[in-house]
Amino acid sequence: MSIIVEGQKGQRYLLMGNEAIARGALEAGVSVAAGYPGTPSSEIIENLSKVSKQRPIYVEWSANEKVSMEVAAAASFAGLRALCVMKQNGVNVGSDFLLHLALSGTRGGMVMVPCDDPGALSSINEGESRQFARLLEVPLLEPGDFQEVKDMIKWAFDLSEEIGNMVFVRSVTRLSHASGNVLFGELPEGRARAFFKHDGFILDPKEGIMSPAPVEMKHAFQHQKLKTAVERFETSPFNTYTGPERPELIVVTSSACNLYSREAIQLLGVEDRVGLLKLGTTWPLPPKLIEKHLRMTDRFLVVEEVIPFTEENLKILAQELGPQVGHKTIMGKRDGHLPMVGELNPDLVVNALAQVLGMEYKPAPEAYTKRGQELIFFGAPNRELTFCPGCPHRASFWSIRSVLEMDNRQGFVCGDIGCYTMAILPTGFSTLKTLHAMGSGTGVASGFGKLKPFGLDQPVLSVCGDSTFFHAALPALVNAVHNQSDITMVVLDNSGTAMTGFQPHPGLTVDAMGGEVPAVSIEAVCRSLGAQVRTSDPFDLQTTQTTLMDLIDEPGVKVLILRQICGLSPEKKMKKKFDVAVNPEVCLGESCGCGRLCTRIFRCPGLIWDKARGKAKVDEVICAGCGVCASICPAGAIEKVEFKEVA
Amino acid sequence: MQVFGPNELQEDVLKKGLCVGCGACVGLCPYFKTYKGKTAMLFPCTLTQGRCHAFCPKTEVDLEELAQRYWGKSYEGTPLGEHQEIVRARAGDRMGPGPYQAGGTVSALLAQAFKSGLVEAAVLTDRQELVPVPRLARSLEEAARCASSKYMAAPTLAAYNQALAEGLSRVGVVGTPCQVTALAQMRANPLQRDDFRDAAAMVIGLFCTWALDTRGLIRLLADRLDTGRIKKMDLPPPPSEIMVLETEDGRVEVPLSEIRPLVPAGCHICPDMTSEWADLSVGVVEGQPDWNTLIVRTRRGRDLVEQAKADGMLVTEPMPADNLANLNLAAGNKKKRAWARTREDGLLNSDGEGRRSAIRVPVRVVESIDS
Repeated sequence: MSIIVEGQKGQRYLLMGNEAIARGALEAGVSVAAGYPGTPSSEIIENLSKVSKQRPIYVEWSANEKVSMEVAAAASFAGLRALCVMKQNGVNVGSDFLLHLALSGTRGGMVMVPCDDPGALSSINEGESRQFARLLEVPLLEPGDFQEVKDMIKWAFDLSEEIGNMVFVRSVTRLSHASGNVLFGELPEGRARAFFKHDGFILDPKEGIMSPAPVEMKHAFQHQKLKTAVERFETSPFNTYTGPERPELIVVTSSACNLYSREAIQLLGVEDRVGLLKLGTTWPLPPKLIEKHLRMTDRFLVVEEVIPFTEENLKILAQELGPQVGHKTIMGKRDGHLPMVGELNPDLVVNALAQVLGMEYKPAPEAYTKRGQELIFFGAPNRELTFCPGCPHRASFWSIRSVLEMDNRQGFVCGDIGCYTMAILPTGFSTLKTLHAMGSGTGVASGFGKLKPFGLDQPVLSVCGDSTFFHAALPALVNAVHNQSDITMVVLDNSGTAMTGFQPHPGLTVDAMGGEVPAVSIEAVCRSLGAQVRTSDPFDLQTTQTTLMDLIDEPGVKVLILRQICGLSPEKKMKKKFDVAVNPEVCLGESCGCGRLCTRIFRCPGLIWDKARGKAKVDEVICAGCGVCASICPAGAIEKVEFKEVA
Repeated sequence: MQVFGPNELQEDVLKKGLCVGCGACVGLCPYFKTYKGKTAMLFPCTLTQGRCHAFCPKTEVDLEELAQRYWGKSYEGTPLGEHQEIVRARAGDRMGPGPYQAGGTVSALLAQAFKSGLVEAAVLTDRQELVPVPRLARSLEEAARCASSKYMAAPTLAAYNQALAEGLSRVGVVGTPCQVTALAQMRANPLQRDDFRDAAAMVIGLFCTWALDTRGLIRLLADRLDTGRIKKMDLPPPPSEIMVLETEDGRVEVPLSEIRPLVPAGCHICPDMTSEWADLSVGVVEGQPDWNTLIVRTRRGRDLVEQAKADGMLVTEPMPADNLANLNLAAGNKKKRAWARTREDGLLNSDGEGRRSAIRVPVRVVESIDS
């Protein structure tokens, strides 16, 4: 049972933005939805997965974003409506395909939903997918509230089908992960029929082949499509203006910043002085609509995240329209009123607005702010990011770091994206020395592994997760094998796309819709590529370390699969393998000389320092019972016994 | 003696490449580990004073303090250190036929020590494939398997720490000068710990001009021969300029000029050729491949030698004067080179706020460098 299917037409429901996107797609009659997990986008596919048995829809977690776009495009080519979702940098992954798709065009409505993460709350970049709309020359929409999130998806499908090209609908964390009221529309009946016509005239968009060639001609078609889109944008219900007819200033905004801007105008009480132009169709900007608003005043403040995208586009139009509307002052990020990096919030917007209007405004009394800062600085405990109790990654990195230090040749690990990204921090013993995109650890390692002739004789390691292995590490591994690079790739296999919430991947026997599917074996793949492959349980520190020691001394490409299911996985959650306790008779406490190895270095949240007794202690509420800490205590004071369920 | 902690040890020894991997710091805590001849600190430690630093033979070694403690007199920097007698020696008839390195004196002394009950275990250097590893041998048979020179930096003293942890109290130790220096510091209880025990019942030091980096030597040898088939390694005394490897496929010689670059930096600051802080020191004799030089330094050392002789385990003869002169010269030269290098690197008697030394010796000894 899911509200997005059970909810009634004409009723209002409190929905998370990602649920609203899913509902919007269902109301639009989507047939195929594909994506790769990535915060803040993951719940869209998850919500559609949940209703995949009730609705005529195929839902897929693809191996990576590029493949998900191709899967969605195929559905579109066959006349179906297709949705493709990803986090911001997922667009980069598939952008090569998109560049060609933009030329070949689409048939059934194809809507791309990139969910951006301003402030990089769950990312290691602040990439902007809006740039891609301009780069690819396809229409871009940005919902400004939760109702629009849902309605715009349906509108985007209609537009896509009308112009025969994909349409971007960009969400952000504060829309995808926040909730608001949404009035439901109707769910269509019936299952769409798929057929791929390919034997018509080569240039026939509905019956010819789907191809970017002949490029110039197709590019010209694409521009025709954009023109049509702009015409629809001129009258789009998603571009709204509220405020006086002759305002002193117009705030131009989109997306979540619409909410911040509304709040800022209210807080300053300047509703009668300032207008708000909320744009839902942000690329290409509709010139007539813009001209109308440029004529209303001379000063504009653009409020958006992250880059000055609309600000620049608006400036281009203002320049072009200059002879008709006169000189306009357009403020925003480029002149420093708003920051070029990070998320915005109502405080930042209200400050910028007050500054532009020449008003004094303090979001909070000075003394209050100062006291708050003091309390945070002196009073709040330092809570840095950490692996969960029982996390296999902690054990894996303990071994990797130990081996590299013991090996003593200043070996290093190249990393990429997953929970294990945190191994750049003390929780992973600061083991990662390079950190980039999905699969990049192995690619970068492959390059390092060829630098021996230049004197680099440090052991080169890479880590990648099981999902990342299939996503983008495979080509890098192939590259390393083929080019005879000397690397050791450690696959941290926790049997799921753990960071984003256990979505399945090609290494597992279940698909997005809960169906049973064949698993692709990481071992078999690596072996068939010609790599030397070993597998170990990361919780067995001794075996893992000995195995890794041997591997890093061997030439060529070696793969060590460290397999241990994630502590938060549905299979493992709430199930302890061991009862773990510190024997206070054996723990030497402060006098041990280990300097609290367990709580200072190993630092599993399940281990705590009993200040009163000056000894270590296991927090049995938090302890996941993995038992690894029993192997690291030099005094042997941490004891584990097989966990027995109390009847 | 100034005692600091692991961070200073890391800074002054490990990072400067002065560590010779003796193993003195290994097995005391979870942080220092040894692998293929190198010692590493796995994770940061917060101790401001530690045994790791106090035991290390490459930082803050106060030779005056050691001389006062073990010899009851001031450190003079004589080439061969304090000793009672220097003889040539070899295994006696009661010992089996070997094979031994040179005259088999160390094997004979160990055999006597085990048989007489002087030691219950011995801290020795074994090897795994070519890599030297510490071995705590509990029997003569086990000890015999460790015979032969390794010529590579070895973490032998980790086995002494193991012996202490196991509660052993009569342990024989066979080590190189750096290991014997570290052991001398270990036996002095520098941190005044209550749980301290001196378990070294007999310390047999080996002569050493320098050792070789384990990985480097293995790499070099692997390029020339099947390292799995090496039976014995030898560095014949000067003027020979070769390393000799006896393998199952025959004899292979490697010129010393190719091997010298593999000498760890820590060896260049070592002033001790003959393991001056041992009970007995054993080396080769120039031109007499079947004999050893044996330096008797302590009372208990002398007792063991006398017993071994009486039991037919060891034979000694007076040392020829020429050989003695050459030994003096070689040991004196090693000292001079070490003082010069240490001083040049600012590691000799460096005083002042925050300054730390590798070696501290009385000023008059330093002055003798220039004379």
